[in-house]
Amino acid sequence: MSSDTLSFVLRFGLAMVIIGLGAFTYWQINQRLLVRATNNVFTLLKKLPDKPVLVYFTTPDCAPCKTVQRPAIDRVSKMLGEKLQVIEIDATERPDLAKVWGVMSVPTTFLLDPRGEARYVNNGVARAEKLLEQIQTL
Amino acid sequence: MNSQTLQKVDHAALKANQLFIISLNILAFIFNQVWIAAFVAIVMGLGSALKVPGFLPIYKYVLKPRGWMKPDVLNDNPEPHRFSQLLGFLFMTAGSVSLFLGATILGWSLVWLVVALAALNAFGGFCVGCAVYYWLGRFNLPGFSKQPPAGTIPGMKPKVGASL
Repeated sequence: MSSDTLSFVLRFGLAMVIIGLGAFTYWQINQRLLVRATNNVFTLLKKLPDKPVLVYFTTPDCAPCKTVQRPAIDRVSKMLGEKLQVIEIDATERPDLAKVWGVMSVPTTFLLDPRGEARYVNNGVARAEKLLEQIQTL
Repeated sequence: MNSQTLQKVDHAALKANQLFIISLNILAFIFNQVWIAAFVAIVMGLGSALKVPGFLPIYKYVLKPRGWMKPDVLNDNPEPHRFSQLLGFLFMTAGSVSLFLGATILGWSLVWLVVALAALNAFGGFCVGCAVYYWLGRFNLPGFSKQPPAGTIPGMKPKVGASL
């Protein structure tokens, strides 16, 4: 193996390790958000749901919420009907909820399983296909 | 409560800029091509001079028209983002000069620092340069007069569209 190739392989490997560490950190932060959401599930629900719940944080002036996230949620909701409960929260009206759920930006969507455990969090826009894929695993 | 007026800031353009900075710098490192890092520094410098994100033309003329990225316009202060890019430009310039002078560990460390901060902004929504801007503003330094939008942690992407 030439020194150029070795250098490339080492650099590529090092870059992957650094990117992997960054991705791991991001994953850890999301896991903490999920624990936080699970601990605060009764700030939104009076009793445990018997179906998956999609919690959607938005604000009135959030452009991607209107153009992408809202249509995606409508599509998923239409496809699943009564099998999914959707809770929409305006973070400008309920900053207390945004705070306890650890929401830093909108749109943010959480998916709770029927036992009320937060299983997924999507920081930013989540397309309908992604939401459906996540709901199918609940 | 402050009385400043916020402006419309397209965060998708900022994100596109960050993604290009991240991608090009990683490619520069993997292929050991210092000129790519220097190119990123120049683009960021030009962006700072023109008060726009350096890679804005790619977003404006390629990504947005094709629908690959959708505008994400929020009420925000553009100044902290410009300051953040200026900081990035300084780090990238220092990194590129170090690399050209043979100080590879220092040079690539500075480049990776810019990558890490850009990634934190792009994927985590936290702009460290903006947080530094707001922190300096607390000392009443000239040129650092803006305050974070109401209800927003300094440096975080605004989630509330209050026009203060």
